[in-house]
Amino acid sequence: MPALRELQSAFLRAMFGPDEPELLETIVGDGLLPAARLQIYRHHVMTSLTDVLQATFPVICRLVDERFFRYAADAYIRQYPPEVPCLFEYGAHFPAFLAAFPPCRHLEYLADVARLEWALNTALHAEVRMPLDPAELGGLAPYDMAQLTFQFDPSVTLLDSPWPIDQIWRANQADEEVHVPIDLNAGGVSLEIRRWEDDVVFHRLDPAIYTFRTTLEAGHALALAAEAALAAGQEFDCVAALHELLTDGVIIGFTL
Amino acid sequence: MDEGGLTMVPMGVSSKLRVGIGLRAPHVAEVLATRPAIGWLEVHAENYMGAGAPLAALERLRADYPLSVHGVGLSLGSAEALNNRHLSRLQRLITRLEPAFVSEHLSWSIAGGIYLNHLLPLPYTAETLAIVAQHVMRTQEVLQCRLLIENPSSYLRFAHSVIPEPEFLGELVRRTGCGLLCDVNNIYVSSHNLEGDPVAYLEALPARAVGEIHLAGHAVNDADGQTILIDDHGAPVSDAVWALYGHALARFGPVPTLIEWDTNIPELAVLCAEAHTAERFFQRAEEAGYAGVA
Repeated sequence: MPALRELQSAFLRAMFGPDEPELLETIVGDGLLPAARLQIYRHHVMTSLTDVLQATFPVICRLVDERFFRYAADAYIRQYPPEVPCLFEYGAHFPAFLAAFPPCRHLEYLADVARLEWALNTALHAEVRMPLDPAELGGLAPYDMAQLTFQFDPSVTLLDSPWPIDQIWRANQADEEVHVPIDLNAGGVSLEIRRWEDDVVFHRLDPAIYTFRTTLEAGHALALAAEAALAAGQEFDCVAALHELLTDGVIIGFTL
Repeated sequence: MDEGGLTMVPMGVSSKLRVGIGLRAPHVAEVLATRPAIGWLEVHAENYMGAGAPLAALERLRADYPLSVHGVGLSLGSAEALNNRHLSRLQRLITRLEPAFVSEHLSWSIAGGIYLNHLLPLPYTAETLAIVAQHVMRTQEVLQCRLLIENPSSYLRFAHSVIPEPEFLGELVRRTGCGLLCDVNNIYVSSHNLEGDPVAYLEALPARAVGEIHLAGHAVNDADGQTILIDDHGAPVSDAVWALYGHALARFGPVPTLIEWDTNIPELAVLCAEAHTAERFFQRAEEAGYAGVA
């Protein structure tokens, strides 16, 4: 009679691997092969986790078709089984996994579309925070302003890609009936994904604004972010960009 | 209520609850908009452990419906220690939602830190009983409330299992002061799959400990020429399970009852119609004066 810990270790191995005779010996047949009984559990573990990934990455599933998706998910689940019982947190490595998965490595845009879907999932479940009231920055001297760093809303992800991933995403919604051809060479995009009221949204940012926000999000001061943004676009207007940042509601705090 | 030396949160509303439904993501917007006449709502704890839109929606529903928080990821039957981070998240959720019931399962899902997303079977031995009892007590201590423990649906049993499941649950109640969530469909499914007698199972449960009943549909599958029932919560409650529900009410009295539907999720109206069928059984049990037996 195996101790519970050994039994559960063997059961865990069996869910992702072949039957082990020692485990099968502990299972009563009751008119069925013990291996067939074990298979019922294995099947549920794999299909339910695949369903979780499919719910989080529906556009990827449409892009590669469901059969291929389930094949890729099977390989992913074996390589990265969940470590937390909250399955809305499962799938963080899926974009990187797809980028390296040989059967679909040639679909170069796939991983970035998956990153967009993961960012939407993150935004949906991120903690709801109150945006910073711009009036709180009212009395600051110009020198102090330059040193400001900002805390972004936890729902925000800034994501850029050499592919038009926003168009690909929109064209692959379940209710999308009009098929607009997508030019993969149309150029890249810089996106901001965030919660908006009860919904999650994304929109394109101008490259200079994107540089401004990513530099701030990395924890750098306003002066440095403005410098980086100017390098990315000569027409960058720091005052307007700061005003827009604060009124967009993506900032929840600041540090001097 | 004071059991096992714990100060329990009073659960005054629970005795008034009748029939509820398991609230699933596709129905949240409609329930928010239409507020259907349903006695109470139960949610899976793990779906609300983020702090975003799903939790915000649930907090809005709290004003109109009593809630029950049903955990599926604590893995009370794991030989390894409980996941403390997960237990704290559950505790925060319960503090925030103040549910009428908190429940979990007699099963395991975590080994070596890997979460298998399934309610896996346990061998019913003295060792398992000691482990599950310890985990139930620790959970009740952290949550400061009485847990209801649900009987699992099973597709296999272990050769070294020596305690019948209802007796195992009875002993767990005695050791920890927990209550029971009697899933009538699970009893039916397990009894079919493991060649047991569902009515005898009901008779063997400690009736006074049963604080909630679950009802759901199951699938009928073929495995190597033998019929296996799969607890997929993907169909209407079967006639045989309704009949067994009648037995359960006769034995336990009119206990708060929940309809669950998790795969092939239908229109909300279909789920509400199932709840109304349960309500008719519930009413008959009240009229018959079933009070539950000791």
